[in-house]
Amino acid sequence: MNNTKQSPIKKLLAVKGMGAALTAFVGLIIIYIAFGLINSVVFSGNNILNLLRSMSKYLLIGIAQSYVLITGNIDLSIGSVVAMSAMISATLMTMGVNPLLATLIALICCLVVGVVNGILVGKFKLPPFIATLGTMFVGRGIAYIVNNNRNTDAIATGIGKEAGDSFQNFFYYGTTFGIYNTFWIAIVVFVIFFFLLSKTRTGRHIYAIGSNIDAAKLSGVNVVATTTKTYLVSAACSWVVGLILCAQAGMGNMEAGNMYEMYGVAAGVIGGVSPLGGTGILLGTLAGAAVWQTLENGLNMIGAQVGIQRIVIGVIVVGAVLLEVVIRSGQFSKKKKG
Amino acid sequence: MNEIIVSMENICKAFPGVKALDHVKFELRSGEVMALLGENGAGKSTLMKVLSGVYTRDEGSLEIFGKEYGDLTPKQAQEAGVAIIHQELNMCRHLSVAENMFLGREISKGLSLNNTKMEAEAKKILDDLKIDIDPRQTVGDLPVSKQQMVEIAKALSINAKILIMDEPTSSLTAREIEDLFRIIKKLKSEGKGIVYISHRLEELQHIVDRVTIMRDGQYITSMDFGAVTMEQIISYMVGREIKEKFPRVECKKGKKVFEVKNLNAGKMVRNINFSVYEGEIVGFAGLMGAGRTETTRAIFGVDPKESGEIYVDDKEVEIKCPMDAIKNGVVLAPEDRKKDGLCTKLSIRHNLALPNLDIVCDKLGIINNAKETELCDKAVRELRIKTPSIDVDSGNLSGGNQQKVVVGKWLARDSRVVIFDEPTRGIDVGAKVEIYNLMNELKKQGIAVMFVSSEMPEVMGIADRIIVMCDGRITGEVMAKDTSQNEILTLATTFEDKKINSQSGKEEV
Repeated sequence: MNNTKQSPIKKLLAVKGMGAALTAFVGLIIIYIAFGLINSVVFSGNNILNLLRSMSKYLLIGIAQSYVLITGNIDLSIGSVVAMSAMISATLMTMGVNPLLATLIALICCLVVGVVNGILVGKFKLPPFIATLGTMFVGRGIAYIVNNNRNTDAIATGIGKEAGDSFQNFFYYGTTFGIYNTFWIAIVVFVIFFFLLSKTRTGRHIYAIGSNIDAAKLSGVNVVATTTKTYLVSAACSWVVGLILCAQAGMGNMEAGNMYEMYGVAAGVIGGVSPLGGTGILLGTLAGAAVWQTLENGLNMIGAQVGIQRIVIGVIVVGAVLLEVVIRSGQFSKKKKG
Repeated sequence: MNEIIVSMENICKAFPGVKALDHVKFELRSGEVMALLGENGAGKSTLMKVLSGVYTRDEGSLEIFGKEYGDLTPKQAQEAGVAIIHQELNMCRHLSVAENMFLGREISKGLSLNNTKMEAEAKKILDDLKIDIDPRQTVGDLPVSKQQMVEIAKALSINAKILIMDEPTSSLTAREIEDLFRIIKKLKSEGKGIVYISHRLEELQHIVDRVTIMRDGQYITSMDFGAVTMEQIISYMVGREIKEKFPRVECKKGKKVFEVKNLNAGKMVRNINFSVYEGEIVGFAGLMGAGRTETTRAIFGVDPKESGEIYVDDKEVEIKCPMDAIKNGVVLAPEDRKKDGLCTKLSIRHNLALPNLDIVCDKLGIINNAKETELCDKAVRELRIKTPSIDVDSGNLSGGNQQKVVVGKWLARDSRVVIFDEPTRGIDVGAKVEIYNLMNELKKQGIAVMFVSSEMPEVMGIADRIIVMCDGRITGEVMAKDTSQNEILTLATTFEDKKINSQSGKEEV
């Protein structure tokens, strides 16, 4: 038991899930350099700034989905909650409601969806796929109804140009230390939830539920509360993404966040979060979100069509998991092929 | 008969961080039952996984029926006639007996399945073994013992000549074990070779011809079973003499610590009343399905209670969920470690700390790493959990060490009542004694210990007082000192009126 004598690098590698996360980071660097060699604009400072900003959204929904995936569940309502957040806050702002109050009301609505998910899955033991499929439709429906089945007008029409600009700058267009605020917001959220997952009691409970829900229960873990917490984290992150999208467009879009729940799964899975629960770390999700965005950005830069982009991304997601499976089974039977 | 059908020489197999097999030799002849013995983690299961192609050996040679196999695949092993009957049964619970037996090699008639033919063939094999099971029954509805027989029948239906049985009796009752032994003897007489892995040494004498003993991944010895005594076998396995099989410490009985009054929870927990005092271990004996596990689960708040009062240190406590129980100093090391006890994907550290996070966390719920390491190291040291580090996945440990982790979870707390449900099932002699010592240690500290076990000698050897259950009720209470196996068994089969009548009817016949 010589833990104290281990070198820092060894210790880092000993963290469970670190291997997959680091693999994703290595993949990220390779992808980035490869695109850069094809089109040097990829390396430009401007592009890097844009990359950091656009990957922030994926990081946030990646965190949202990872929390739920680690408990062995899934959250299909993420995209709808993003839309709810964007539509509710934008609608209120066009009505002249103070942006702070408008976003807080949106937050409460989003958290209600999280609680409902948590109770359906945690307490009533509904299959998470079904429960969140339901809230996905309901959430999207609410996003439609909020402004009478129309996208909202520009938020500036309600709260004035000045307030509208400062809202848009705060979440999207403004910079701090030369980097877009969106990135800083995502990083702050990341640090908070990274800490919560890896260093706290709640985090341990989340892993325990994902690994063996019966054993967790018998160890005194409150499964309903913990499951609900993961869905709350998911809803909260989705709320932030909704605000970012609202700020980007300067208005609310009913179709905002479409398919985001699946992007979240992809970011997590590329980074080594197992959809079966119990394993994965947020550092992996960070790498996964970055891989995802770099791919999208790079393919754009080299002029690939949208269709090609989708195909490449699909292949990468499956490839990442395949690679992990191959590596893992390789550990046990080195010379299976003989 | 008696020709060598399996010959393994110098087999080595290493896993990251562990050398599981170190130049192991193994031989099996036709028409014999070979007991493969050793403590948990000795490498028995790994060796058998090499023989069945699940693992590929790193070094060494492997011959089956005289044919040398290089890197044996599971498919080749199956074709050569090797079949494993697993400790955890590998059956599709929702499929029928026949469907399970013909899984992967279904017989079809044109485009559709020929169920009639499969059921008839399944029936024939089951009848051959004199097993009374309808091939159309759903496997999940059968008791474990029957499921095991189906698995044996399945192995025979694919023409297995070498059967590996890993702890086949660990969840069977005495009656069912007899049935199993009858089948084993029949297979033996047909010239099949049987590898029998078991920790229940006392049952070996009924069926075993030869023994091979392993320790710490190494081959120790093999010989005719008739030529050795139990003591010798144990000392070969452990590498040291175990003097007392059941260490007992005498303590003065103190004040009442724990009391359960009129507990009711479903059919299997009916009107349970008992108390446990300082300085005593109370054993819970009974047959499988007597309601002992259900009682512990109801007490611990896993299953809902219909009525009943629970007192800890003469104070009534309300237990609605496991958390309430833990807060009130009542803890449970559950029966089925894979299902209820352990998060196998998580490290030993995470498992040991899980119920103790309130101790290792500060007020904000942030984990104090140093405190946690200290707590885990202490548990590993005290329970002698064999592992290179506490950050190893608990799923990689051997059965006995996994059990120690399950038990170790609860030792860091100042508990008042510790409930052990079958803590020694499927673990080796050495680890058993360590668990007994641990219970004795708790007893000395004045902690109330409840010890549920289906192994009569163990209950009688460790417990001070024994409560016997049958059919969800307490049917008797005896002092371990002045009782006999017969008395306990009588109490354990004291069914209610209806059944007593049919029983006495049987006695008259």
